[in-house]
Amino acid sequence: MSVSRRVLLQAAAVAGMGRGAFAAEAIKIGIPVALTGPVGGIGAQMRRACEFWAKQVNAKGGLLGRPIELIIEDTAANPATTVRKVQEMVERSGVRLITCIVASNEALAVVPKLAEWDTVFVSGDNGDGRLTAESLVPNFFRPNVSGPMGTRAVTLWLRDSPMKKFYGIGMDYAWGHNSMEVFEAEAKRAGKEFLGAVFSPIGTKDFSTYITRIRQSGADGCYLVLAGDDNVAFLTQAKQYRLGEKLQLLTEQVDEMGINASGDAAVGLIGGSRYPATLDNPANKVFVAAWQAEYGRLPQMFEGDQYQSCVVMQAGIEKAGSIEAAKLRAALEGLVVTSIKGPITMRACDHQAEQPGFVVRVVKKEGMEHPVPEVIAIYKADRITPPCNQMAYTD
Amino acid sequence: MTVQERHPSNKKIPLAFLCVAVVLALAPLGLPLFAMTLLTEALILGLLAMSLDLMVGYTRLISFGHAAAYGLGAYASGYLLLHTPLALPFAVLAASVLAGVVAIGVAWVCTLTKGVSFSMLTLAFAQLLYAVAFKWTSVTGASDGLAGIPRTSGPFGVTVFQTKNGYYYLVLVCLLGAYLFCRSLVGSPFGAVLRGIRENEAKTLSLGYNTRLYKIAVVAVSFALGGLAGALYSPFAGFANTELVFWLFSGQVLIMVIVGGQGTLIGPILGAAFFMLLEHVLSQYTESWALFFGLIFIGFVMFAPQGIWGLLTRRARV
Repeated sequence: MSVSRRVLLQAAAVAGMGRGAFAAEAIKIGIPVALTGPVGGIGAQMRRACEFWAKQVNAKGGLLGRPIELIIEDTAANPATTVRKVQEMVERSGVRLITCIVASNEALAVVPKLAEWDTVFVSGDNGDGRLTAESLVPNFFRPNVSGPMGTRAVTLWLRDSPMKKFYGIGMDYAWGHNSMEVFEAEAKRAGKEFLGAVFSPIGTKDFSTYITRIRQSGADGCYLVLAGDDNVAFLTQAKQYRLGEKLQLLTEQVDEMGINASGDAAVGLIGGSRYPATLDNPANKVFVAAWQAEYGRLPQMFEGDQYQSCVVMQAGIEKAGSIEAAKLRAALEGLVVTSIKGPITMRACDHQAEQPGFVVRVVKKEGMEHPVPEVIAIYKADRITPPCNQMAYTD
Repeated sequence: MTVQERHPSNKKIPLAFLCVAVVLALAPLGLPLFAMTLLTEALILGLLAMSLDLMVGYTRLISFGHAAAYGLGAYASGYLLLHTPLALPFAVLAASVLAGVVAIGVAWVCTLTKGVSFSMLTLAFAQLLYAVAFKWTSVTGASDGLAGIPRTSGPFGVTVFQTKNGYYYLVLVCLLGAYLFCRSLVGSPFGAVLRGIRENEAKTLSLGYNTRLYKIAVVAVSFALGGLAGALYSPFAGFANTELVFWLFSGQVLIMVIVGGQGTLIGPILGAAFFMLLEHVLSQYTESWALFFGLIFIGFVMFAPQGIWGLLTRRARV
């Protein structure tokens, strides 16, 4: 007798659900996430957060009495693949809700199709400011910190610093260019000098020529808009070239994965953080404790930000009583959720969540295996969140 | 029936052609949504593979850069649909013509050489286009690509192409039309010269044919049809990026032609559908689907050099 692998897996899945004994049909959530390629590490964090959240919800009897089922597909961070995979999720599996897309150019490729698919997309980390400005569509929501918001926190901090001249390096795609534009505008408004920026293709391994240009620019500080493997490669090489002795390295995202992979090379780095695990509020303490029980370590930045997006999505579904796009949209607009970053508001006008901004410094601490980010400034939501439908600031 | 048996190649195919056309035309009635998406994409890729067959199968011009035609068509129609009020069929047509015109220049240079050098030059041109697509941000969107390419309405207020099935019929008509065109082309005296070039170019030249002009012409036709496929793809997917111009894709199209059966027109269409379905099925079970596809490709080259169409027709003859 032969039993196919598939049948066995299905049987195992049913057995695993056992105790819950869900009668209702599952709520399917599409997870088109980049698990391979230069941002695969970020994708792994985000997927982990989604799985952790789904497990928590299912353990408590599900959402609206229905279990959550995650449909996970690897997009390799290729926008064309992402569109194809989401189309498949929608048409084949009946998915009407997606989250966990890693790269902004993937998100920008998907949003024009949301209306046709009648599907809501709740961003978990997509930074490009255009998503809640010129490219905003009704079915897109961003509970996470955007690129302009992360940059804004860093530039607010810079206003009080003695540094005068800045240079930048960003990844050569949507998010990199967008954040660099905001940095340039903000730096100039603060009366600082912006000397220029270079952009490296996604997946760059050798940054030596870029580092030479940064060194020769004569800047006091260099702003990094780098993520994933590129970020690790840059920090490691910057250490070899002693770039940190020449100028202060600033970054939009201080990501623990990057710090852990580059070791001491990240010490001294100052930058924005979308979610520092050390936040002192009741919801975060509960989350961190549960996370540590599950994984034996603190949650990392993208894990926290994606988890918050899941919680916002959950609150929206509970309020709407459905995942139908029209109802969920109405429920999410103006929704206030008290989550791991404290109370955040899903602004109705452009679907961006108003939330605080954090600036951290990477330090070495006794007893810690890796350097850790330490919060040095917190800015309130109204100073961080841009005016509606915009990505530039006015003050 | 006896007549058909005596002239299998002349009589059987038009009848089969009609049958296939009818079946494909009825497909939207019975197939679920996602199967229609796959079928539409398969037909578009089939058109692309068939266009390459004119060069590879009939003229022995091995192109490693056919993604250039596809990408050119895709970007051109995407750009036109995003930035001009042009109706969808006209944008698609304009993109196809553009690909054909560009091909004249490309072919003029590439046909200065023969054999492997020709192949390398086609690859070089495709990579050149790839670099342009990567750097010309204002037109191509660089690594972000062109997103949200609409299926515009018109002409004359026709909205049928905006629907999923309506678009499928547009693709189907383009493919069937292109097939009939290619069939008459390769059956014409022009096609005879192409086969002459394939079998023995020196001899064809000595018979008084300017073989280079013929080669330039076939590359232009091939690119125009490949461009048509690309032009149909971008409003279908709503998206175009540099992946469509990448050398890896050129290689995949060549594989579709060889696996399907080169020099048969129908074979490459089957090859494209086979490639797509297999990729789809294999990637559900394994991450390294490309490895298994590679093995299948090797199997075809070694044991069935005539490809899928060769296998099918051999069985039919038996």
